[in-house]
Amino acid sequence: MWVWFSKLGSPKWFYELSGKWLPWLIAAMVIFMTIGLVWGLLFLPPDYQQGFTSRILIVHVAVAGTSLAFFPLMFVAGTITLVWRMKLADMVAKNAAILGAWFSFITLATGSLWGSVMWGTWWEWTDSRLVSMLFQLFLLLGVISLRSALEDSDTAAKACALLSIVGCINVVIIKYSVEWWNTLHQVSSPVTTDASSPNGPEFWIATLIMIVAVYLFLSVSLILSTRNEILERERRSQWVQDLVLKS
Amino acid sequence: MKPHRRKKLGIILFIAAGLSVAVGFTAYALKQNINMFYTPTQVAEGEVGSGQHFRIGGMVKTGTVLGAEDSLKVSFVTTDFVSDVPIQYEGILPDLFREGQGIVAEGEMDAAGVFQASRVLAKHDENFMSPEVKAALDAAGATTENHMPGTN
Repeated sequence: MWVWFSKLGSPKWFYELSGKWLPWLIAAMVIFMTIGLVWGLLFLPPDYQQGFTSRILIVHVAVAGTSLAFFPLMFVAGTITLVWRMKLADMVAKNAAILGAWFSFITLATGSLWGSVMWGTWWEWTDSRLVSMLFQLFLLLGVISLRSALEDSDTAAKACALLSIVGCINVVIIKYSVEWWNTLHQVSSPVTTDASSPNGPEFWIATLIMIVAVYLFLSVSLILSTRNEILERERRSQWVQDLVLKS
Repeated sequence: MKPHRRKKLGIILFIAAGLSVAVGFTAYALKQNINMFYTPTQVAEGEVGSGQHFRIGGMVKTGTVLGAEDSLKVSFVTTDFVSDVPIQYEGILPDLFREGQGIVAEGEMDAAGVFQASRVLAKHDENFMSPEVKAALDAAGATTENHMPGTN
């Protein structure tokens, strides 16, 4: 296991392996994204109270759920950076912060759109779900600016790793905010095949497809940006120069 | 694993665990402050001081919505099925506002015990239903009332 683990830390090995995975991941992403978006945004039945506005939530729930994956990912990457000093982990963490900020922003934007129609308000400072999600966006912007503020890349990697580990606790707060406190934001919709549940299965099946699609999008984006990072940081190494000469 | 790495990993796990406990206690201590609204029962039990500006959350009691014909004034009763609080409001209500729906109102209690709302928001629950399913459920006589918000 340790051999495999240290091999994974080699940028060259990751670059070659991810190159083989990418076409499959992209193909799967296109399929799921197409099904999810076409069905979810064009054919899904309206909710009896919300009308077609409920379709916003197909995108909102998928992006919001996925945006909670960034801090756990950066927690693991940060721990690997601090304990094993693996450069690859830091490259992943750097790009995860940027992607995560975008995911958080889209979550807040789509949620605001829905809220403006359904709740009658764009934003409520007293709602713990809304505010903790905004806090995640600020934390990620903080991680990004911390990295650019520190000149030495080794120090920056360590500082960002620590901030990511500490910031991870916010994910728990976001997740359980709607259960611990009373909020305007509703609790998570159940995934159930129970016939007595008022929840129509088409809503959660469409959402589930979108969640898979968004996770695939996240994986593809993260791999692509990490590959870029590898080429840039390892540009003086022999294998990257060989690669450039070959193409 | 080398000893210095084991030590570092230990420190990280210790920070994570310590932080979780600290945040857990803080969240517990702030429980009431972080809540967005009071329930009608909490209001009835006198948890809100008089003259205080606050939010109240509950269901719109069926058959209590009275709108004025020549203005935007509306009155209704909000309930958590234990206590009721009458509310008066003047303004545009959100689309989702209807009897049996969860709402959050912001305002103050007047001397007569009526909540004078300056703002009314609609609360949606976690359930999604297509119009066909709703019609089928209604025909079968099943209850599709929204759940009470904030019963926790």
